[in-house]
Amino acid sequence: MTLSPLGKYALRSLTRHSRRTLLSVLGIGIGCAVALIATAYIRGEGDLIERAAALSGTGHLRVSPAGWLPQRDDRLRLRDWQQALAIARQTPGVAAATPRARSNGLLAFGTRVAGVEIVGVDPATEPRLNRVVRSIGAGRYLRPDDRGATVIGQGVADRLRVRLDDELLVTVAARDGNLQSAILRIVGIVRTGSQTVDSTVCQIRLPELEALTGRPGAAEVAVLLERSEEMPAVQAALQKALPAGNVVHTWIEVLPELKASFDLDQGFTRLLIGTIILVVLLGITSAQLASVLERRREFAVLSALGMKELSIARLLLLEAGALGLLGAVTGLLLGVPVVYYLATVGIDYGAFVDADLAISNVLIDKVFHADMGFWLVPQALAIALGATLVATVYPVWFAAKTDPASALRVAQ
Amino acid sequence: MRIFIRGSGRAARGRAGVPLCWIVGLLIALGVLSGASLHAGPAPPDVNAVLAKLDDLYKSSGSIGRVEMTVVRPGSTRTLVMRVWTRGEDRALIIIDSPAREAGTATLRVGQNLWNYLPRIARTIRIPPSAMLSPWMGSDFTNDDLVQESSYREDYNARITGRSTDPPGWQLRLDAKPDTVGLWRRIDLVVSDDGWLPVVERHYDRRGDLARVMRFDQVRVMGGRRIPTRVEVTPTGKPGHRTVMRYLEMQFNANVPESTFSLQRLEQNR
Amino acid sequence: MRSSTLRLAWRNLGRNRKRTGLALAAIGLGQFALLAMSGITRGYTDAMLETVTGPMVGHVQIHAPGWRDEQSLELSVTALDARLDALREEPGVARASARIYAPALVAVTRDAQAAVVLGIDPEAESGSKGLLATAPEGVRPGEHRVLVGRALAQSLGVTPGSELAVVGQGKDGSIANDLYTVAGVIPSAIDLVNRQGVLMSLEDAQQLFVMPDEASEIILHATRPEAARELASAVAARPAFAGLEVLPWQDVVPELVAILELADVSSYIVLIFVFVAAAAGVANTMMMATFERLHEFGMLLALGATPARIMRLIVAEAALLGLLGVALGTLLGAGFVAATQGSGLNLAALGGEAAAEATWQGMAIPIHIFPRLAATDVLVGVAAVAVTSLLAALWPAWHAARLEPMEAMRS
Repeated sequence: MTLSPLGKYALRSLTRHSRRTLLSVLGIGIGCAVALIATAYIRGEGDLIERAAALSGTGHLRVSPAGWLPQRDDRLRLRDWQQALAIARQTPGVAAATPRARSNGLLAFGTRVAGVEIVGVDPATEPRLNRVVRSIGAGRYLRPDDRGATVIGQGVADRLRVRLDDELLVTVAARDGNLQSAILRIVGIVRTGSQTVDSTVCQIRLPELEALTGRPGAAEVAVLLERSEEMPAVQAALQKALPAGNVVHTWIEVLPELKASFDLDQGFTRLLIGTIILVVLLGITSAQLASVLERRREFAVLSALGMKELSIARLLLLEAGALGLLGAVTGLLLGVPVVYYLATVGIDYGAFVDADLAISNVLIDKVFHADMGFWLVPQALAIALGATLVATVYPVWFAAKTDPASALRVAQ
Repeated sequence: MRIFIRGSGRAARGRAGVPLCWIVGLLIALGVLSGASLHAGPAPPDVNAVLAKLDDLYKSSGSIGRVEMTVVRPGSTRTLVMRVWTRGEDRALIIIDSPAREAGTATLRVGQNLWNYLPRIARTIRIPPSAMLSPWMGSDFTNDDLVQESSYREDYNARITGRSTDPPGWQLRLDAKPDTVGLWRRIDLVVSDDGWLPVVERHYDRRGDLARVMRFDQVRVMGGRRIPTRVEVTPTGKPGHRTVMRYLEMQFNANVPESTFSLQRLEQNR
Repeated sequence: MRSSTLRLAWRNLGRNRKRTGLALAAIGLGQFALLAMSGITRGYTDAMLETVTGPMVGHVQIHAPGWRDEQSLELSVTALDARLDALREEPGVARASARIYAPALVAVTRDAQAAVVLGIDPEAESGSKGLLATAPEGVRPGEHRVLVGRALAQSLGVTPGSELAVVGQGKDGSIANDLYTVAGVIPSAIDLVNRQGVLMSLEDAQQLFVMPDEASEIILHATRPEAARELASAVAARPAFAGLEVLPWQDVVPELVAILELADVSSYIVLIFVFVAAAAGVANTMMMATFERLHEFGMLLALGATPARIMRLIVAEAALLGLLGVALGTLLGAGFVAATQGSGLNLAALGGEAAAEATWQGMAIPIHIFPRLAATDVLVGVAAVAVTSLLAALWPAWHAARLEPMEAMRS
């Protein structure tokens, strides 16, 4: 590649003032890296609420019968639920899917009763989508070969004054209008540390709920995605592929009470990222400006030697471009390893925060992971180049106007 | 001994989620006592005969009567007096006579459906099945008592374990058969020498702990039948909780016309 | 530092206004960013608290002991009016109101459905943090007029003007029943209200459930939410409340405490990022500016200045710049917080949402953050940023001191 004379000058200028160049590149690089790490962290943390909802049983998406949403009618069933489940599992972007059905019921033991929502689940796939049931305090979780078994929350057990292996009488309003009863043996007690969660958990195997209520089939399929950003796309794809009569809802439609928290978080996240990037940009710009301002003498000389303003401008832009590129690369080199660490290992807040966290029966992870993706490169380039180029605007304008003689006369 | 007799088959009957619900099953069940044998002597009775007697004690093809129910709680005592009509196993009408403030409130059961009539607002409402599940009024009778899908004969293995001196009578022990769907793993009974009427029942939960005690007394002849007319239920572990039911008047196997069990009747409050 | 050095430093700064201006801008920006972020972050954690606790929880709750487990009407707070009056006099209480929660059956036609009656104080719950915040304009419960949760209303088939029968069990065990007019339908993100809620005035509920001068709970909103625990202790210590359970929200929903602590820790991390970003900018600028002046320093050395003198000069300049810049940044930052404190920052608008407020099913949910600063924020910023600018000048200063004058002048 042969460089134009301007190019050569720019290159030599950069290499001759190695300290200045190094300082510039480092400055830009560090600023970039900080912005990248901050953005990655904030983005990763920004979907905290979403992940919490998704992993506490709701999933990112929920396949429900049409007409379910307004009153959350538990009695409705999916059309061809097994086919819907299979389709969901095969849809690209889906990490896991699990079927469920629910019914209000009464648990009774001796003279004590407790009203609960009984959830019929598939023990093999439920834990993948439901962090809650992994916090078994006593006993174990349900198994596919269980018969007449249930897992309840510690709060439910307290209300009924029951223990592991006790047998509960469950009564539900069955399809034919009658009340249907059965005996359930407690094989596991869930203890999440959250009182609201622990006093509502009651799960049995799906086929047994079907038999108890007299309503065959699943009422919902909860879907967990690989990447939450793909939610709209997967929702559309899934909706098209499903048997008619089923609707795909997002977790926000299912848990509207979380929406306020979610929106607050999203808004705040955007504000943060914007601010940090702005601060970095301005910081780099000011440093670059400082550097360029000091070179007025040099430009004055060039101008006196006959260099046109346009050429000086182009020179500055070339230097800025080169610095920006180098700075971006430095920023990536410095920032990507940190982002990678934060994305994979993450920060465990368990050290600072003891108890388990939950909002609206949704458990929240204590390990934060940063978000990592190709977006890092364009962002680094945008920041670095943006800053250096903006920094040349004023000097270019100024240098163009300078009277060489007066510039040379000034001591600095 | 159950005060309420079974509905048809294994399916549970609806229990109202409203005030008088726990009466419904009871009164539905007032049954015919077919020739109670008053013979009782020192010889241990036939266990199956005793169980049959207990199962059928209040059974009737139709009944008309008055009942008083008192629910005692720490800090309050509430007494209701009601008139009752039943026909077969799934028709019942109950009207509250006392206290005055609630007089005229009525409950009607026809098949699976349960309605309440509220005179103060002149409205009839139908109780939804889901409300039949949630514990509505704190009485010490359980859902199981009202629903009655089981019978002593079919669901328990019984044997006579000896004599009881205080109260005097025969002691029976009932152990639930393995597949029984019910709250009680074991029931200890004492039946009287004359007529095998229940005197005391102790119900043990499925872990085997004593959950409640039922006492039957004030044996009288009512409607041609000799029955304990007072039943008191005391749950264990709930200090100050107690429920007492008294039959004031009762006719068994009465011919109660079908027309009694209609919504119009309910609202006219006959 | 000798005054002559200071004067010289001062004059130097004044002589090259552009460079000085730039440095001041960088430092001022850093301080401003820190303060603005601190203010916004505090406002965010405040908003988080209100959002996650929601209208249901409030800041302090008062119940009869044991109520939270069984929620039975028998366990009620008695002598309600007297206690509410006492609370309204308590310093630290912004708002005190009572609620009744009772299960009931409701019906428009003959078919009844399970519901929950909430007896509330319409005045108190009408604010942005109350249960009636999402109620239709001007529609309030009272005098046998009720609001029904949207999903429940749909399920029952009620519209404003319908007559609703409510049947339940009174505190004395009697059958509670009465007729009410539906004044409106209330959409709510709170599941309980939306799917099962019948909102009536506290008086109506007290009458229906035979609870004169009683309630299920008293809810307090504190003037300073951060001090909820202290307020609860103060109230619990009063003789009028002996025997009652007085809990700050942290004890009512302990699982939320950790979330807010998490948000706090997370905010610190964010502030650190902001600081590092700002510091990098400040340091870069200071270093760059100082290094570009090597020529000038070379001349000074040639003219007989001692290296030590040069260093002191540079440090003095940096110190002045630091202090001035921080002062500027503090003014701007504090000004920003003061300006936005009143009306708050509308987050949704900032983020590019189509509507200025987030909406859900036709309900407008404004998301505002009200920035707030504590004195420590300013002090920390001052220390950090000023120190950074100082340190950032030290290396070039040291370098300058060791210069060979000829070399320097030639660069």
